[in-house]
Amino acid sequence: MSENIDKATFQHYYEGDQSKLYSGLMQHHTDVTSPESKAQVKRIWNIFWFLLVITVIEVVMGMKFSHLMPRGIANFLFLALTLVKAGYIVKVFMHLGDEFKGFITTVLIPLVLFVWFIIAFLADGHFWLRMNDESPARHNSAVQEVSHESK
Amino acid sequence: MSQTTVVTTAPEPKLWAGGRSPYNVSYGKMMTWFFLLSDALTFGAFLIAYGTTRFFSAVWPDANQVFKSFPFMGESNLPLVFVSLMTFILIMSSVTMVLAVHAGHYGDKKNVAKWLLWTIIGGICFLSCQAWEWTHLHGECGGLWGTFTDLSTAHDFKRFFSEKSMDMVNAQPLVAMQSTHNFFNYFFTITGFHGGHVTSGVIFNILILVNTVNGVYERRGHYEMVEKIGLYWHFVDLVWVFVFTCFYLL
Repeated sequence: MSENIDKATFQHYYEGDQSKLYSGLMQHHTDVTSPESKAQVKRIWNIFWFLLVITVIEVVMGMKFSHLMPRGIANFLFLALTLVKAGYIVKVFMHLGDEFKGFITTVLIPLVLFVWFIIAFLADGHFWLRMNDESPARHNSAVQEVSHESK
Repeated sequence: MSQTTVVTTAPEPKLWAGGRSPYNVSYGKMMTWFFLLSDALTFGAFLIAYGTTRFFSAVWPDANQVFKSFPFMGESNLPLVFVSLMTFILIMSSVTMVLAVHAGHYGDKKNVAKWLLWTIIGGICFLSCQAWEWTHLHGECGGLWGTFTDLSTAHDFKRFFSEKSMDMVNAQPLVAMQSTHNFFNYFFTITGFHGGHVTSGVIFNILILVNTVNGVYERRGHYEMVEKIGLYWHFVDLVWVFVFTCFYLL
């Protein structure tokens, strides 16, 4: 591969202004008033309204309804809406959806770590709470606490 | 990808051997993504630590009680309204940023400058809101980090809990005090770290606005720097989406 490229050019790309390797995917447009450009701007605003509606739903739920429904369902809905919002920000606003598939995978795969991370740590927290609750030490200290207060 | 290999006349090497960008992404942009990935792990660690602490606390302050104030409304009971305003400001500034990036793709200097300016204004509005909220909570807690460390503060921390959890708070005041202490420590650490990102984002935006107006990117032939700073700015918005959910909704 490298023997096809003039050595000076190669040096220049890799040691000089590396942004000359700038993505060809999104550059090279010229007419900002073209239908293509206008469609893209329209898409950006549509995503904005979509994000706004989701946020309003979340807030109204948090203010009025989340106390009325089972905690698990409310939390599931909040997390699902959050992930939808995050997905659209990354895909459209950060243009990850316009990149090569290989690059999308490269960026997203490390995030799988979070699945283990969240499950392991929350389970640990839950375990500690149960252990504290069932520990005789907790009951002794609670007794001491109450007697300390009554003095 | 295999279809493109069929179409091109010169045989593509099976493995990437350098000399070209494998994903058609420049070095700077790819490294911006990897930086953001590492930053996501940092924020993730913060939020998961918060979750762990919350899971092992028998009682936890209620967001609707803690965040119910609005500037100049006195003792009004408006839970979540102020933080919704902050969220709206940040999403709005994300839109103006993506419009700046879009204008950059077309080499439209005037619009890049215009939308960058709006983004900077949005960022400053967000930071002002955060400054108000911190000042307000500073007043409520009598400090930022490390407040609620002895039971004489009981009458202060009890108002952060919901009606439903009051039995538990009264039965185990030490547990309630410790969780209020933890709640505010996490709150100030995480929103502070996020606010630091917003601050540096505003500074970066000001720098690229100056460069745009001076025609640096026009001479360079592309506005990739706007795109890279844009990635950072959207990431800050993205983190706020999660902070908002973890602190105010769940």
